[in-house]
This record gives sequence, C-alpha cells and structure tokens, in this order.
Amino acid sequence: MQYMADVKSPRPQSRAAAIEVTGLSHIYEGRDGQVPALQEVSLTVGAGRFVVIVGPSGCGKTSLLMMMAGLRHQSSGTILCAGKPITGPDPNRVGVVFQEASLFPWLTALDNIEFPLSIRHAPREERRRRADAMLNLVGLKGFGTRYPHELSGGMKQRVSIARGLVQDPPVLLMDEPFAALDEQTRMTMGHELLRIWDETAKTVVFVTHSLTEAVYLADEVLVMSARPGRIIDRIDIALARPRTYEMMATDVFGRLRERIWQQIRRRSD
Amino acid sequence: MTRLQIIFTRLALFALVMGAWEALPRAGAVNPLLLPPLSGVVRMLGQLLGRAQVQEAIGVTAAEVIVAFIIAVPLGAAIGILAAENDYFGAIFRPMLFYVFSIPKSIFLPMFILVFGIGFGQKVAYAAFSTLFIVIMSAAAAVESVKADHVLVARSYGASPLQVLTRVYVPSMMPFLLEALRISMIFNFTGVMIAEMYASRTGIGHLIASWGENFQMPQLLAGVILLAAVAILFNETVRWLEGRCSTWRT
Repeated sequence: MQYMADVKSPRPQSRAAAIEVTGLSHIYEGRDGQVPALQEVSLTVGAGRFVVIVGPSGCGKTSLLMMMAGLRHQSSGTILCAGKPITGPDPNRVGVVFQEASLFPWLTALDNIEFPLSIRHAPREERRRRADAMLNLVGLKGFGTRYPHELSGGMKQRVSIARGLVQDPPVLLMDEPFAALDEQTRMTMGHELLRIWDETAKTVVFVTHSLTEAVYLADEVLVMSARPGRIIDRIDIALARPRTYEMMATDVFGRLRERIWQQIRRRSD
Repeated sequence: MTRLQIIFTRLALFALVMGAWEALPRAGAVNPLLLPPLSGVVRMLGQLLGRAQVQEAIGVTAAEVIVAFIIAVPLGAAIGILAAENDYFGAIFRPMLFYVFSIPKSIFLPMFILVFGIGFGQKVAYAAFSTLFIVIMSAAAAVESVKADHVLVARSYGASPLQVLTRVYVPSMMPFLLEALRISMIFNFTGVMIAEMYASRTGIGHLIASWGENFQMPQLLAGVILLAAVAILFNETVRWLEGRCSTWRT
C-alpha cells in the first residue's frame, strides 16, 4: 500500500462548516395519519470531515441524506451547504453515491462517470479527460469500456464513487454504498474510500448501519434513533489516521463501537 | 454447440422439410392436389408476382399494414405510458384494458364493417384496434421497467425532466419497446389478414381466402410463402435493431 507512506499526519481540517442542518423536521402522511419521520434534527459537518450517520432501519437516516442532496423536501428546518440553503439538487455543491445498482446498465463505466458532465453539456474533451482521471483515482484504469454487468460489486461502487466525484463537488453524500457487498470487499472498499477522501480532501457524510464500518471510517459518528428520527448522540472517533485494519482489534476501537451499540440498543428496547 | 453448428443444423432441417415437400407429392406418398410439390408452388409464386391483380393486392395490403401500424403504435404507447405513470388514470382504466385485451378481436369485425364499410378504412381501423391493446400493455410494462433509483440518480445530477425522459426513460425502455414493436407488427399483420379474408375486394388476404375456397392449393401455398418472407424480413430487421440497442442486457 504505497500511498500510506505519503500520509504522515491527519491533514489540517478547517473549522468552517460544509453543511449546517438546523431544526430539520419531516412529517409524512402514513396509513395511520401523520408520521413524524425526522424531529428537530440539527447537525454541523465541518469542511473536510468524514461524518458517519448510524441508526436502526427506519430512523430516517436515508431521508436526512436525501434532503441534504436536495432530492426530498423537509416539512420544516433549513439545510445550508457552504452557507447557502439547499433547495434542490445542486451537483456543483453536492455529489451523491447511492446504494447498490444505481449505475445505468446501458452505459459503460466511463460513460456512467461522464453522465453528470453530459447532463450539463460539458465539452466532450473535458468530459473524457475528467472521467479518465476519476477512473484512475478509484483504481479502475483499463475498465472504462466495461458495462456494469461485467463488473464486480466492489468495482461498481468504485464507478459510483467516481461518478459522484466527477464534478468535483466539495461534499460527497453516501447512502449505504457498501451495504450489498460481502464483508471482505466491504472492508477493502472502506479502506479505498479513506484513501480517495484523503487524496481529494472532500467532506463526506456517510450513512450506514454497520457499527464497525462507522468507527473505522469516521472522524465523528452521529447516532440516530427511530420513531421519531432524531440524533441521540455524537461521538468523536479519536483514532489516528491513516486507519489500519489492525486498529479494529484494539480496545479503543471496541469501546467506541460498544458506546454506539449501547445508544442504539437503549432506545430500541 | 457452436454457433456454426447451430446454423448448419438449422439449414439442414430446413432443407429436409423442403426436400420432403418436393419428394413426397412426386413419389405419390401425399396427394399432389392437397400438397403440390415445392417446385410447382415456387413456379406459381413467380407467375402470381407477375400478375397486375396480385401486385395491386400486395400494394393495398402493405399500405393497410403501414397505416394501421402508424396509428396503433404511437396511440397505444401514449395510453400505455399514461396508464403506468398516472396512478389515477391507471387505476381506472387498467382492469378494463386488460379485459378487452383478453377478448378475441375478430368478434368486433362486423361492427367495423358497419361503421367503415368494406374497404381500406375498415381494414386499417380493425388492424389498429386489434394491435392497440398489445401496444398499451407493452408500453405500460416498459415504463414499469424504469428503476426509481436511476431517476433519482439523474435528478441528483441536476437533470431536467426532459433529460430524465431522454437519458433514463428512453434507454431503460428501449429493449421493451423494440420487443413490443415486433409483437405489435405480428398482431397488426394478422389483423389486416383477418379483415381481408373476412370481407374484402382486394388485398393478399382476400386473394388467399378466395384461393382457399376454390381449393387452389398451389396459389394458396405460394401466398403462404410470400407472407412468410415478409414476416421474416420484418422480424429480422427489428431483431437486428434490438441487438444493436441492448448490448448491455444480460
């Protein structure tokens, strides 16, 4: 792993907020009347930080992420990205990586990565150049002409990450991107993601229900509870970077994981 | 089996059937009045194609098929897409469309004769009517094949509604639409044939029906060969298009 030698200390992270969520609530019309999906959620994501949101299914973590992406509207509250409110999808500010199988099966890997650029009619040459650079970044050089069905699960999510980054947005939102992968691939992809995060200096908000993944990746973990969805704990992950697989066996890692687990369990009893 | 073997076996089988068609009536194993030998039928086809009456019939039938197709496909596609996309419209009309789809359309043929008389309009209307339902069903299925995730991805990258349509809906639906095109042409062609055979003054269907009534087997079988040739040509064209459009399908 040659890139690890290049990274000696955690890179300086500015104090400026990349995302600020204030008093976010969401109510949807369910079968039994109004269901509060999110209640008074407030959070701040510092620029360059890696923030992971964990919680049981149905806690609204994906809804929260979709609202940050401008893909769903909240009932009340505000979301600021780089100081300006999010009112709809804005690919220049926010890139999104979805759950499995979100690649277009009729496009090659390279064309999938170019998709966001072609939507805003970027010149062909620029598209190809940037997509190529992204393909290299995610370690898929030489796979550009493959169709999604010709790629493994891990490779597909690498393409998804490349697609999310191709417009060079400062913020990357990731919705359980590795949930469908097997354990081993998932670990490798987590490691790869940290490398890409480090090389690109993005702000990442990552939703997962895997506690190990949360502790391994995050600077900071936000724990959510369900019905209504709200943030019940905020935990700083003071593990050194770069993270290594060996850290998972340490006491500190175990204690952090345990603390999150206690929070989630306490609320779901 | 390799591709070459498959092609070879197909050709061999074809040659065997054609050979039997030629040999059996000649050997007296089959009554030549019932099944005239292949060579005689082919010679008859050549003669028929030279006749002005047959040429005119081919022209009329082709025009009917094309006009009916041009009416049925866009109309059916529009209704099908509406039924799939608009919950209200879909909830009301889908069961009805499905039940009408299940009824053999030839039952309604006399009504078309009453409304349109016997002629071009009646053939086109009936063929379009009998094709419409399969187009509606296929178009609705094609819309449902579009994944919500893909639409969400496109929207997250700032795609306009028009871009979502052209960049997500159309490519998602394309394989289904081409398949629908192929099937609807079969229905369309059958519709024109039935209408022509039932009551008509011209058209291939009319000729085939009158040859059949007079037990003119060489003419009848020549007509069958002609129809088969047209059907194969159309099918292969659409299949070729399908192959080009759907390399990504597994």
